Amino acid sequence: MAVEINTPVVFERPPHTLWGDAIIRLRRNYFAMGGLAFIILLSLAAICAPLITHYGFADQHLDQILQGPSAQHWMGTDQLGRDTFARLLYGARTSLAVGIFTQFIVIVIGLPIGAIAGYAGGRVDNYIMRFVDVMYAFPDILLIILLRSVLGGSIYMLFLAIGLVAWVNISRLVRGQLMALKSRDFVSAAKAMGGMGPYITWRHLLPNALGPIIISITFNIPRAIFTEAALSYIGIGVKPPTPSWGAMIQDGFNLIFSKPYMLLFPAIALALLMLAFTFLGDGLRDALDPKMRR
Amino acid sequence: MKRKTFILSILSILVIVSLIFTSACSTSSTSGANSSTAANSTPQVITLNLAGENNTIDPNRASWTSERTIIIQCFDGLLTFNSDLTLAPMVAKEIPTVANKDISADGKTYTIKLKNNVTWSDGTKVTAKDFVFSFKRLFSPDLASEYESFYSDVVGGDAYFSATGKTDAEKQALQDAIGVRAVDDYTLEIKLTDSLPTFTQLLALWPVFPVRQDMVAKYGDKWAQPDANGAMPNYIGNGPFILKEWVQQDHYTLVRNEKYWGTKPKLTQITFKELTDANLALAAYKAGELDQSGVPGGTEQTTMNDATLSPQILRFPTLTTYAFQFNVTKPPFDNKLLRQALACAIDRSAYINQVRHGVGKVALSWIPPGMPGFDATLGTDWSFNPTKAKQLLAQAGYPDGKGLPELKFQIANTGANPTIAAFLQGQLKDNLGINLTVELMESKAYSALYNAKQFTWGFTGWGADYPDPDDWLPQLYMTGAGNNKTGYSNPAFDAISKQALAELDNTKRLQLWAQAQAMVVADQPMIYVFNRETFVLQKPWVKGMVTSGLDGNVAGDTFLRNVYIQK
Amino acid sequence: MGRFIIRRVLWLILVLFVVLLITFILMHLVPGGPWDREKALAPKVIEALNKRYGLDLPLWRQFVNYAWGVLHGDLGISYSYSDRTVVSILAHGIPKTATLGILAFVVAQAIGIPFGVAAALKQNSAVDYASVLFSTVFASIPGFVLGILLIVLFAVVLHWLPTSGWGSIQQLIMPVFCLAALPAAQSARITRASTLDVMRQDYVRTARSKGIMESTVRVRHIFRNSLIPVVTVAGPELANLITGSFIIENLFAIPGVGRLFVQGIFARDYTLIMGGVLFYAITIALLNLVVDILYAAIDPRIRYE
Repeated sequence: MAVEINTPVVFERPPHTLWGDAIIRLRRNYFAMGGLAFIILLSLAAICAPLITHYGFADQHLDQILQGPSAQHWMGTDQLGRDTFARLLYGARTSLAVGIFTQFIVIVIGLPIGAIAGYAGGRVDNYIMRFVDVMYAFPDILLIILLRSVLGGSIYMLFLAIGLVAWVNISRLVRGQLMALKSRDFVSAAKAMGGMGPYITWRHLLPNALGPIIISITFNIPRAIFTEAALSYIGIGVKPPTPSWGAMIQDGFNLIFSKPYMLLFPAIALALLMLAFTFLGDGLRDALDPKMRR
Repeated sequence: MKRKTFILSILSILVIVSLIFTSACSTSSTSGANSSTAANSTPQVITLNLAGENNTIDPNRASWTSERTIIIQCFDGLLTFNSDLTLAPMVAKEIPTVANKDISADGKTYTIKLKNNVTWSDGTKVTAKDFVFSFKRLFSPDLASEYESFYSDVVGGDAYFSATGKTDAEKQALQDAIGVRAVDDYTLEIKLTDSLPTFTQLLALWPVFPVRQDMVAKYGDKWAQPDANGAMPNYIGNGPFILKEWVQQDHYTLVRNEKYWGTKPKLTQITFKELTDANLALAAYKAGELDQSGVPGGTEQTTMNDATLSPQILRFPTLTTYAFQFNVTKPPFDNKLLRQALACAIDRSAYINQVRHGVGKVALSWIPPGMPGFDATLGTDWSFNPTKAKQLLAQAGYPDGKGLPELKFQIANTGANPTIAAFLQGQLKDNLGINLTVELMESKAYSALYNAKQFTWGFTGWGADYPDPDDWLPQLYMTGAGNNKTGYSNPAFDAISKQALAELDNTKRLQLWAQAQAMVVADQPMIYVFNRETFVLQKPWVKGMVTSGLDGNVAGDTFLRNVYIQK
Repeated sequence: MGRFIIRRVLWLILVLFVVLLITFILMHLVPGGPWDREKALAPKVIEALNKRYGLDLPLWRQFVNYAWGVLHGDLGISYSYSDRTVVSILAHGIPKTATLGILAFVVAQAIGIPFGVAAALKQNSAVDYASVLFSTVFASIPGFVLGILLIVLFAVVLHWLPTSGWGSIQQLIMPVFCLAALPAAQSARITRASTLDVMRQDYVRTARSKGIMESTVRVRHIFRNSLIPVVTVAGPELANLITGSFIIENLFAIPGVGRLFVQGIFARDYTLIMGGVLFYAITIALLNLVVDILYAAIDPRIRYE
């Protein structure tokens, strides 16, 4: 009979931090780890794409146009005879970068602004939120067209353009959470102990507000990838021949009746990535939940 | 408790408001849905797709093909084009020529006799005054017609058009000075500043179709607008159909003009829908909601292989040429040998046969086949030849591409443009080892760059307004001409063009244009790539369809009056 | 509360002014004007058109004229739809777009919130996984792809519904569903996350320990308090839906304002852009006001003033 090594017989816990604890909890969540593994594997595959396929993403084979999946071209070829598998791998670079970097910009801008508004309240909150109203209301397509034409067509500008219009949602979400949290007892306690605003916000309020924020961010990553697709569609996406999943889905859409696999492969890839981010997001939320400490 | 009811009441208000909206809007009609249930004979109705919303359907103001599609059903001009693109008289008794004295010997005065049996759809007669009114309105500075410049040669036209800042009295004087008058009810006289033999073709275009003065006087520029219910009571025409309804952003309903002066059309009703998405249009076609539809780009081969759809394919060439045009004023494309080298490096037949599945035709020169001025022998020196391309590149000073600066190519990101850009990129890479930077741009941003001549190398298409070299050569290649974006300037070409524009002898005129086109093609300010071919599906019960190279987005729109339904 | 609302409405006027001003500046900074097209218009034609639409005036005059017009309910004349006033264009499109948007919002919340709550109450159960799967599937299919799949299935194959257009209840079904899919998925995820947060709060424990019935705890303490993030996200989501989706309206050929507005941007139809922005800004600001009022309604600890 084997000894049951997993039995928790820990009677006293070592000192721990929120984040240290969270990592331990996250490791126990198989779905979240599976999601993380998929994201890491995909990133590696995207980086090492030349080692995985010998086709380049721009190589045209005009005698092999719009072919279905075969041993030679695992996922078939597109209108210019380019290998779909190769484009999917290289396209992961663009799409992952768009998804992650735009959310990075969103967090850097949206989180502090929302936190200040939510914590400070009153007049500050009003000014900030009216500014957010302005940001919400004006046409982002116009801003993106302008940014792209003034700042040039590099992919970094694309991140900036999408990020700059997407941060308002997070800031309103953070503000709403903090407004609800700041009147709680533990905040009053922290205040009574002489905690300063930024400290309380960082140490007590944000960790408690993280759940919906993380969910929203993991949800927004695929949304940003879609936005990139929509931008490709209206003529301000990535430069050809650089592939992106969004643009591939857009291409595939045109051929949905005749060559459905052109849509199927990028769509499945995007769905899997989305699933991975969802599992990871849920896992992170659970892991960071201060109430989950046992 | 109180708060809960508050939330509930907000929710219920939302639901009620949405229900009100729904019921209020469901009264707008869905015409044509029940017409297929007619008892005995096949209903003579057809549903086509205009694929977008029009700016205006006022003949004096319209400029887009989808606007023309509606206008030509409702109006008849002095002249018209046959399906072979020759001219035919319509409201005019005969085509004006020097021989029949309708055109004066110096080519500057046109005296056009009108038929006396042409009526408006309300039964009143169409007279020369209606044309005089239309011409004068076309030149109105307040109307700002986009096609005014086509008629610049009419005496006094431009002077009036440019009078934007003047007083009403001054404008009136200028309007009265326009060289168009009604000699009597059925004789129209038009004076030109210069001899312009293709003016007869301009008389067949929509900007000078007759317009009702009383309607414009009463309703102003809104005469061509629907009322709140989409009805068009003031849009009176003299054509075979009457526009009954324009539900904006949704559809047009045209019915047969029962008082039509000519041979009455067989169709009793035409509906134009406005489905912009190509996949939707195809689905609507398959679901039986449309009688004709395009196919999404790239699906032509599958359509041809489809047993049901392949017999329903309708394809015909249209008068459109696509080209990669250079800015020849800036290095490196000021180098003719480089332009020729690039022209030889592009396998146009691979593009047509592989990428476009054989839809379209390789173009090596500017004027498309099917119209006067086309020359199949032109441009063969610059057809696909990789060896020659390499030689020319070396002669241009860039052996194996060494020393060549970064080549940039700008293109509007619409339709199949990204594909053709990627194709060009691949061709230059494969055949010359040159890297091309493609700059995909939002459409208006591209047009602005292009109109300001700030582009380096771009993609353009030109469709015929009327089937004559006049519309194809001087506008694009004469020094400083309005649509000369390449910056091409060749004094010999300019001289010969001026001569051709005024030449009254048609044979000689076309010879001059042939020489002029040869000069341009040799200089390759553009790399000519392909001519367009319309490729649509049409239900087998649509009969009598006649297509023409001048057709717009709706295939066969020029001759819908001949169409009938037989099931 | 009354004073709070009045103050916010006064702020709205300032917000609108700023939005219009920024849009106006942006619009004129963006390359390309209304008369730029590949086949160039003659310079004299452009001059006449500018004169006709008042674009020959200095920019500041144009803005002042526009703002003056707005105060009088005149939003100008569209350039791309000749002779139609922007007011009439909006009046034509807004009811259609808003109907779709409100219906889609109701459907989305009616699906999303119960799913999210159920998933949270039964964390890591089959319901939870089903909710993840459902939201992932709908969030990862782009609206236009979902739309065309529905069209093929219900209009082309089964002939149950018309493909597109506007006018009947049947024509509403597919676009509403397409519009609702992503917000429903998002709502389900957010509701799950915030319900889990609330379930572990002390007051829930207290309520339970007081022996209050589980169903009452769930409705009064858990559900109600978990609504804050849901409402936060729902406000802009509703605004988004009401102001229309270019892609869905374009796909289903719906004569709504979302399509017009985006086409207006591409056409550089300045008056139409400004009119659309005005509508969008009013909708957003009012809905955010509603959200803030709902905050206070949901959580008695949130007070304004």
